[in-house]
Amino acid sequence: MPSGRTPLGWLQLTHSRSRFIVASAGVGFAVTMVFMQLGFMNMLFDATVQIHKRFMADLVVISAEAKGIIPDSGSFSRRRLVQVAGFDGVQNWAEIYISTVSWTKPSDGTVGTIVLFGVPTDQRVFADPVLDAKMQSLRVLGTFLIDEGSRGDFSALFDQMKAGQQPTTKMASQTATAVGTFRFGASFGTEAIGIVSNETFLHLVPDRQPGVINLGLVNLYPGRHAEAAADQIMAGMGATEVKVMSMTSFIQLTRDILQVESPIAIVFTFGVIVGLFVGAIIVVQILSSDVQDHLAEYATFKAIGFSNRYLLGIVFEQSAILTIFGFLPALALSLLLYQVVGASVSMTMAMTVNRVVLVFFLTAAMCMIAGAIAMRRIYGADPAEVF
Amino acid sequence: MNVAESGRPNTIEISHLNHWYGTGDLRRMVLRDLALEVERGRTTFLMGPSGCGKTTLLTLVGALRSVMEGSVKVLGHELKGASEATMIQTRRHAGFIFQHHNLHRSLTVLQNVMMGLEVKGQSARDDAVNRCMEVIVAVGLGEHAMKYQDQLSGGQKQRAAVARALVGRPDLLLADEPTAALDSKTGRDVIELMQRLAADRGMTVLMVTHDNRILDIADRIVEMEDGRILPGPPENRRSGPSGRSNPTRAQAALR
Repeated sequence: MPSGRTPLGWLQLTHSRSRFIVASAGVGFAVTMVFMQLGFMNMLFDATVQIHKRFMADLVVISAEAKGIIPDSGSFSRRRLVQVAGFDGVQNWAEIYISTVSWTKPSDGTVGTIVLFGVPTDQRVFADPVLDAKMQSLRVLGTFLIDEGSRGDFSALFDQMKAGQQPTTKMASQTATAVGTFRFGASFGTEAIGIVSNETFLHLVPDRQPGVINLGLVNLYPGRHAEAAADQIMAGMGATEVKVMSMTSFIQLTRDILQVESPIAIVFTFGVIVGLFVGAIIVVQILSSDVQDHLAEYATFKAIGFSNRYLLGIVFEQSAILTIFGFLPALALSLLLYQVVGASVSMTMAMTVNRVVLVFFLTAAMCMIAGAIAMRRIYGADPAEVF
Repeated sequence: MNVAESGRPNTIEISHLNHWYGTGDLRRMVLRDLALEVERGRTTFLMGPSGCGKTTLLTLVGALRSVMEGSVKVLGHELKGASEATMIQTRRHAGFIFQHHNLHRSLTVLQNVMMGLEVKGQSARDDAVNRCMEVIVAVGLGEHAMKYQDQLSGGQKQRAAVARALVGRPDLLLADEPTAALDSKTGRDVIELMQRLAADRGMTVLMVTHDNRILDIADRIVEMEDGRILPGPPENRRSGPSGRSNPTRAQAALR
């Protein structure tokens, strides 16, 4: 002990090993709860912008009110997209129709809803090259691809397709033929997703006007700066009914809107607060009883000349120890749970460095505040009582 | 700031000390116009029936309690109206031995003794462990330095407490019935040891005791009753701090 300070907090906490383990587990439980709440919240946000990332585009053209791709994309005239295409630097563009229609679910024969994307088949629309290769098959009118992540048991349908058959189903009162699958991954908002050609889309959804589209994808020549190009096009076009923005900004916009407008953030923030509160109560309990147990010893220390500040330091030291010994195992456990939960709902639950840092500081604050509450009892240690 | 070296002959000077507990109707006087001087380097025993205020006096001298009325000078500090900082400073210059050992149960003997150095800010020095071991060996616990208190006998615990009090080389050693929890043989051993170590280091000792069998160890015995010091026979001052009062005086003190 060359530092000259006896690590009393550590020695007291670890003197009873079982109690120390219970204490750390209590903190770890709270930390795990906080991690899971934040994980679920971000999984929801990620799931909503997952669809954005499936498209290959530097810029998007969307209606001015659009908040995302599904469900609130809004429609606008194709002429706006053509106008954007005339700007310097634009390499190619694609028009996308989006609509939610009713269909007869091949899984159980009941009627449900499916989100249909009508896309051009003669150019690259999707980021995934495997999916892009399947676009050819959609050139036959009335054919569609179905998302493997669609909710429900579609294994019979998939088996039929694997066997080389082309099963049909009713889609918005027309007959549509399943010719293949793709994988977008499940999302919270949608039951099922289908991809069709623009021509099939207009055929299946007769109330949609040709030329009134929902999403425009724009790719720039290499080396062009997406943000700058978007600003330039926006300014040059002078249109108020559409927005032109980079895909990156669009993803951020959708996240931000969801964060602000939906109750998701509130619900999960509340969960985080509850977790921290529970953790704080546990730590107050542990540290208070530790202080209580050592009150006579603290009084002795005061009698031989230690100041209150020294004794408060012991409690702070214990807070710091519980922070570390609660946080680290909880981080490991949370990483594991992220994997398990993510796999079971076929979504990605990703841990970010920011979240780790944030939760660490929340844990430290929780333990320090709890320590501050517990240490009030220190003042009750009366040195005159020890004689 | 070793005040005892400033040439002052008395380590403790008390005059017109009044102290009471409680307020209003429940107010109870425990010390009345008490005066006491304790000479530097001598061992003084404080005796008297229970409730006479011995322990209160000791806590006032040890700066564990605030002085209400009168003057208490310890090691040159006036404790009447003293700030918390002065009180803490005074405690650091005194060594305490309590009725119970009051060792910290999460610490080994060595760690407990080290706390006596740490309070003085001397535990970071290179010789800190050596100094502690020196005292631990002196109290006969050399082989038990790494043990926790629940592995020690009562006498060993109290000797560890003595080591903790002595390691900081205090100018004043205050003890309150340190033998109360020990059998007489062990009690006497501990007190003899304490007295010898204190005398070797020139410490002033003020000890409250009920134990008749150890009275011969004192240089001077002071009797208290009803919050006052009883006027004793004229003291037979000895030349050295390690002098012993004769048995008849000790007998007389037993009333």
